[in-house]
Amino acid sequence: MIRPEEIKMSAEETGKWGMVINQDICTGCQACVAACAMENNVTFVGEEDSGYGRSMHWIRIERFWEGEYPEVKMTPNQPMLCQQCGSAPCEPVCPAFATVHSTAESLNLQVYNRCVGTRYCANNCPYQVRSFNWRDYERPEPLPNQFNPDVTVRRRGVMEKCTFCIQRIHKAQDKAKSEGREVADGEFTTACAQACPANAIVFGRVDNPQSLVSQLAHKGHGVKHLEELGTLPNVTYFKGG
Amino acid sequence: MTEENKVVDLLAVFSDLEPSADAVEQLRALGVRDECMNVISGVPVTEAMLGRPAQWTNVPRIAMGGAILGFAAGAFLAFGSPYQYPFPIQVNTHSFTPGPPSVVVLFELTMLGMLLSTFLGVFLDSFFPNYRPMKYVPEISDGKIAILVECSHVDEKKVTDALKKLGAESIAHVEAQHL
Amino acid sequence: MADHKHDAGHAHSEEHFREKHLMLDPLPRGVMNDMVMESMTGKPTWKFWTVVIVLSAIVAYGLVYTWAKMIAEGLGIAGVNRPSYWGIFLVNTVFWIGISHAGTFISAILRVFKAEFRRPFTRAAELMTTFGLVQAGFSVFMHMGRVWLSYWLFPYPNQRMLWPNLHSPLTWDLLAITTYLLSSTMYLFLPLIPDVAMARDRSTGWRKSLYKVLALGFRGTEGEWAHLRNAMNIFAFAIIPVMFSVHTIVSWDFAAATRPGWNSTIFGPYFIVGALHSGMGAAVVVLAVIRSNMKHMDYFIRGEHFDAIGKLMLIISMAWAYFFFNDYMVQWYGGDKWTHQLLHFHEAGPLGWMWFGMLFCNIVVPWAILWNAKWRATPWLVSTVGLIINVGMWFERYIIVPISLTINRMPFTWRMYNPGAEIPLGIGTLALFILLYVLASKVIPLIPVWEVQEGQMAHELKKFGRETVVSVSELE
Repeated sequence: MIRPEEIKMSAEETGKWGMVINQDICTGCQACVAACAMENNVTFVGEEDSGYGRSMHWIRIERFWEGEYPEVKMTPNQPMLCQQCGSAPCEPVCPAFATVHSTAESLNLQVYNRCVGTRYCANNCPYQVRSFNWRDYERPEPLPNQFNPDVTVRRRGVMEKCTFCIQRIHKAQDKAKSEGREVADGEFTTACAQACPANAIVFGRVDNPQSLVSQLAHKGHGVKHLEELGTLPNVTYFKGG
Repeated sequence: MTEENKVVDLLAVFSDLEPSADAVEQLRALGVRDECMNVISGVPVTEAMLGRPAQWTNVPRIAMGGAILGFAAGAFLAFGSPYQYPFPIQVNTHSFTPGPPSVVVLFELTMLGMLLSTFLGVFLDSFFPNYRPMKYVPEISDGKIAILVECSHVDEKKVTDALKKLGAESIAHVEAQHL
Repeated sequence: MADHKHDAGHAHSEEHFREKHLMLDPLPRGVMNDMVMESMTGKPTWKFWTVVIVLSAIVAYGLVYTWAKMIAEGLGIAGVNRPSYWGIFLVNTVFWIGISHAGTFISAILRVFKAEFRRPFTRAAELMTTFGLVQAGFSVFMHMGRVWLSYWLFPYPNQRMLWPNLHSPLTWDLLAITTYLLSSTMYLFLPLIPDVAMARDRSTGWRKSLYKVLALGFRGTEGEWAHLRNAMNIFAFAIIPVMFSVHTIVSWDFAAATRPGWNSTIFGPYFIVGALHSGMGAAVVVLAVIRSNMKHMDYFIRGEHFDAIGKLMLIISMAWAYFFFNDYMVQWYGGDKWTHQLLHFHEAGPLGWMWFGMLFCNIVVPWAILWNAKWRATPWLVSTVGLIINVGMWFERYIIVPISLTINRMPFTWRMYNPGAEIPLGIGTLALFILLYVLASKVIPLIPVWEVQEGQMAHELKKFGRETVVSVSELE
């Protein structure tokens, strides 16, 4: 039995883990997409399903352009991933509590083995970053040999999404705890940030004013996407800086 | 049981309301008590139409009881179940027992409890399902009104004559039979 | 009858009333019983068997095989994608729940307000409610990714100590639809008991055994009638708010979401009116089919009934137009750029014809035809209008679900939706609905004979000066 006063409401908390993405230096190379898929055992849906809007990347590079060919002006690439909202619209609509808020990490969790696949969360995600396992996709050899043992493999009918590499967060926290210290800034990072050759993605603790990510986030011209919906996203974007 | 107070069951079938109402009156005048009469009909004939005492029914009370049980079940779901978890489950910035959704849950379960118990009430009050032999003639479902009289075997002749005079289509001893 | 000749000069002779109104054309109860029994028990024709076999084949392929395949392979064989996570499955769910609203409307609201024309067809409409809800249940369960775990959505004590999330409109939906399905089935059964008892008294063989069990030993004693009357009264009043809550909650599945085009406060009443619109349309189609295919039904179901339902359809169509315009106007005025984009996509997008088709079927057709009393009393015409309204209402739900899902706040994900396995599955539910109805019409007395007789007892012709008018006594 839990007493209500024991639970801190997420709105009162400051986001702990956050990300800053600098669109100006993003080259759109898709290294983050590949690294994320490797790290998180994201399956390969194949050309046909991918073309029909069933790609399952937890992070995607959105390309936009203005004007008609040949007078095309490219706007900067926009990596889009789960914004780990502080007040996430996807959470309350799940009838099975398969997506819930972690008060400890201020993350938006997805519980794969509780998901029954109503896909309401994906409809209600303003960022459209949730991916659904439409089938049991086959992994050609030798891909089954490189599964990450720290991450569950999902089956058909289950919703999934970016977790901010929660397995890395926990690993680092466990290590720091066993050594009796706090997790140092930059000690670890997410797969996408690690793979980015331009260092356009920075990950860390936003509640620590000394960390690189919070210094960048407070630089002034960062924006949070669809902030007007009151979702309290934890990812800050820079563009035209 | 001695020969004198042997009780016989007579079933008199009428086609119309008026004679059946008269028959009820006549029977009462002959000393047959209201408890010893029963009206069986193919259309709902209200007790007032035949001048019979109003039937006691528990259905509304059972329905109310069910509504209370349903409300309690809803209250448990809305206000109790969120505290049953081994660890807190937080969604969005909602409180554990959010107001408006609780209203929805309370409403639905109250109605479910009430309607289920109304249905159950009909079964309890009418002793449904009941497949034992019963006193009945199939003509009744042709819209006839039948009066089932329980009278002592001494009065049988008197009662039969009176009912016949009032235009009963048939008067017969009935044995309980499988419907 | 002597002054019949004098009456002939006036507008309404007695003969005219008898011909027109079932309630003024009484037959002995025994004759009506035999008519209803004969309509059920008549030897099935080759036409009947053909219909049953064809429908069963469609159900076997469309519903059983396709669903089994989808469970085994995943939702990939359907057309749902990002961003249209919900497709025709949800369209059909809303559609079938909508259809189910007509039964309750006819048998509860019209009973509460003592609308006498309801008497012969309350059962036919209630049966539609129950069978329609079954299809809605199928539609919503088959859209689930892991349907074999759907029992997790029900509140029951379990080892994981997990209860369903009561914050979710889908959980409310489950509670509301379960309540509605159970209560409408019970409400179908209660007034059926006396009719089943009637059927028990005049059948033999397997029918006798079946009706004996179903009649529960009902004889028609004062007590039994009193309990039944009380219960039916409670049901008639209590099922109305349940019915309203069901479609309001269905609308909240959409309205509670943070999506352009969905987040609308008027969706509740708009959906209820839409449900009644398609429901009345479906009811009139069912009545026309019953009337033309079952023996003696033209005695029980007459032009007057189509006329009465036609009037309701016209009023509901006007109400639907009002709510539609209200919703549209506020969205249009709001100035949100995504909503504007969406409204533009509705009207001028690749499926714009559907948007205009919806307005044509839901407003233009009923308004153009149902104003005329003579046309309203023509079964084939009214039922055609009913069919067209159902097409229009299906379009409306299609526009709300997959078309509105196409446009969201992330233009990068905009993508069209092309249905796949949804089509055989949808046709399968339709076939199952018809199949259940066809089979039930052979077993369940579709006409509540005792209610008809009660009505005929209550009606009489009365003279006011030279004019003959219909007068009704309140028996209940």
